[in-house]
Amino acid sequence: MARFGRRPLAALEAELRTIKDPVEKLRFIRLSLDRFETLDERLQALPGAPLRWVAYRLTGVEEARPLFSRNPWGALDPPRRSRPPLPRRARRTVNVAAVLLMAAAGLALASYPRVHGPEPKPATAATAATPKPRPTAQAALDPPRGGTPERIWLVDSGAAFELYSNGLRIDTTWAVRGEARRYRAFTKDGGMGAEVLERPIGIVFHTSESDIWPLEESFNQKLRDSSQDLLRYLRRNQVYHYLIDRFGRVYRVVEEKDKANHAGVSVWGAGDRLYLNLNGATIGISYETRWEGGAALPITRAQLEAGRSLTDYLRHKWSLAPEMCVTHGLASVNPRKHLIGHHLDWARGFPFAAYSLPDQYQVASPAVRRFGFSYDERFLSVLGEPWPGVIAAQAALASEAAASGQGVDAVRMERVRTYDRWLAELTKDAETAEKAAAQDARAASGG
Amino acid sequence: MAENKDHLWKAPEESADKIEDLVKGGSHPVGIDVGTSKVVVSKRGGKEVACQAQLNAFIPVPYSPVTERTIQQQSDIHYYRDGEEIVIFGSATERFANMFNAEARRPMADGLLNPKEKQAWPVLEAILQSLVPKPRSSNEVLSFSVPAAAPGRESALTYHEASLRQHFTALGYKAMAINEGLAVIFAELEQHNFTGIGISCGGGMCNATLAFLSIPSIMVSLPKAGDFIDRSVGDAVGEHAQRVKVIKEEGFELSKQPKDKLEKALHIYYEDLVESLVDTLRRAISRAEKLPKTDRPLPIVLAGGTAKPKGFRELFERTLRARPFPIEVAEVRVAADPFTATARGAYIAAMFEK
Repeated sequence: MARFGRRPLAALEAELRTIKDPVEKLRFIRLSLDRFETLDERLQALPGAPLRWVAYRLTGVEEARPLFSRNPWGALDPPRRSRPPLPRRARRTVNVAAVLLMAAAGLALASYPRVHGPEPKPATAATAATPKPRPTAQAALDPPRGGTPERIWLVDSGAAFELYSNGLRIDTTWAVRGEARRYRAFTKDGGMGAEVLERPIGIVFHTSESDIWPLEESFNQKLRDSSQDLLRYLRRNQVYHYLIDRFGRVYRVVEEKDKANHAGVSVWGAGDRLYLNLNGATIGISYETRWEGGAALPITRAQLEAGRSLTDYLRHKWSLAPEMCVTHGLASVNPRKHLIGHHLDWARGFPFAAYSLPDQYQVASPAVRRFGFSYDERFLSVLGEPWPGVIAAQAALASEAAASGQGVDAVRMERVRTYDRWLAELTKDAETAEKAAAQDARAASGG
Repeated sequence: MAENKDHLWKAPEESADKIEDLVKGGSHPVGIDVGTSKVVVSKRGGKEVACQAQLNAFIPVPYSPVTERTIQQQSDIHYYRDGEEIVIFGSATERFANMFNAEARRPMADGLLNPKEKQAWPVLEAILQSLVPKPRSSNEVLSFSVPAAAPGRESALTYHEASLRQHFTALGYKAMAINEGLAVIFAELEQHNFTGIGISCGGGMCNATLAFLSIPSIMVSLPKAGDFIDRSVGDAVGEHAQRVKVIKEEGFELSKQPKDKLEKALHIYYEDLVESLVDTLRRAISRAEKLPKTDRPLPIVLAGGTAKPKGFRELFERTLRARPFPIEVAEVRVAADPFTATARGAYIAAMFEK
């Protein structure tokens, strides 16, 4: 059998050397991978991040995750994968192993690195609103499943819904048209690009920060009404493209091809391209919840799953770059004070891994690195410390300043001025376009 | 060894009698490579696994009782009557194409059912029926190859895959599709625990798959292969594509200096094809977000009729190593039998699913 250890795949390969028949070898591999996946699922269910950390350290099963495939034959329409049940003896072995593992994990907790900090406490407001503690982010996550969304297509539709092949069901009752998308990309050397862009290239994830009622039977009426009230408000103001309510229902608010109000003044980029004020460039997805500092995952499992299906569908449909799928908290800026984190929803704790997206908290913040933005006490009072991407951006800025022979403050100021200039150019460009559109409209109406 | 057998996820290692077991159990899995140029079937014949092929082409000839009687007298000609025409299909097509000085028609193009060919499906069905026996019992497994989805052609692939699945299911098989490059890996990289890159260079397209421990991580296709070479060379030298194909298949070698204009053009378009293939693979691997970690270089195996000329392997390796490649490559080799590798790999998948 392939044994668990620090390197289970190496152990599996060693075992494979003794098998000569290709079919038997294939069977051994596939069953071993199934077994790794089963164990991984069980470890995911272990309570507490430190315990899980120790369990993963002991088993090394994370190494096999890229091989947990829903499409092991590489066909376009793979047959439904039926994982054979583990035999009784094997089940018993796994269960005993799990018990031993938990015991070992308990003993090994002392070795859990301090930097991970204590188990996060649920946010105060969240505790007040919801009687039971919310799941931590890690506990609710599934393993990432591959890098790019599978092919997704419209299976069925009606006057008020669209159903997609990945199980995504979009309620279109509330959908309205928004303004036409129109935005530009900036490059470090070229400034504002000449090309006017009209297709979305990314996603910004939000939380609605609306009234959240306890998930209890006695609040059914409130639970129903609050979502409807929220949707009425969003539609009226063309806020967000999608809202995912607490039961995982996905509502389209503004048509995807149009611009919605959601990202406000913001900065993000990928490669050498930078985007200012992301309403034009991105699709806004909001979860009906309050972020509450991100100490615990503020969404329900249904919301997590629905968000994943919606993200896959949007990425597939618009060929969105994963690097451009970001949270509002990471991109939002205060343009006058040149501060990041003007809005902080999902500034921590968004489950990027479960959505097969790169961990944007690790990415050097473009606002800090390219435009010399910083943060203030309010920011620190909520987050405690900046996310790793801010620190990385500060380090990059300092290193670039050293390379150019200037002080960090001088370089920062220079970049702040670049931001101000670019923002002014962008504003002027938008105003010119608005005037032109108004003139066209007047001409069309004969006025 | 004995203790290992106690675990059910560990397969028994005494597999030498596997074919014997299948005979006793009456199991007859089938693997098929449904290629643009050829359809190759891998199935059991007695205790051996054997491969059979048919040209994936046809030619309609005018019906007359005399023609039909003449055809009937020759056992190796497959045909069916369609109104006022006799449709000759499979390997005899080339002979009749030469006889009537006409071009053979293809049910498939660029790896998929040919949307411009009205007779595509009836002919392909007939070709498949000539190769695939009816299952002897219910739930016999049949595994057929499909290309990787080329960008923008997903819906065509869905139709292609679903049509084949329906056909084999209607015959009574438990049908499963397998990616073509993965099938090459199954057939050729067992020694490497099904880890490496399998490339199938067929008539309509090239398919490449990077797999780790039998699980495909990257699958790409390039709608450029043998037919592209035949057409391009034909256009360049004013020769019929069919004749280019014949010359190409009759002992053309990439390892030798070209001796005439046609061979020079063949060299040029082979180089162009390999360049595009390596570039496609390089880009796909560079873009991949998550690949399993491996600390050893990976093998590449080349299969398909287009990989057959001597010197193809060297050309591929030269092109590959001319520029940095995102993963370390251990060796590049040609499959033991490039024509049947995909079918043999599909057969292994069918045996597994049995």
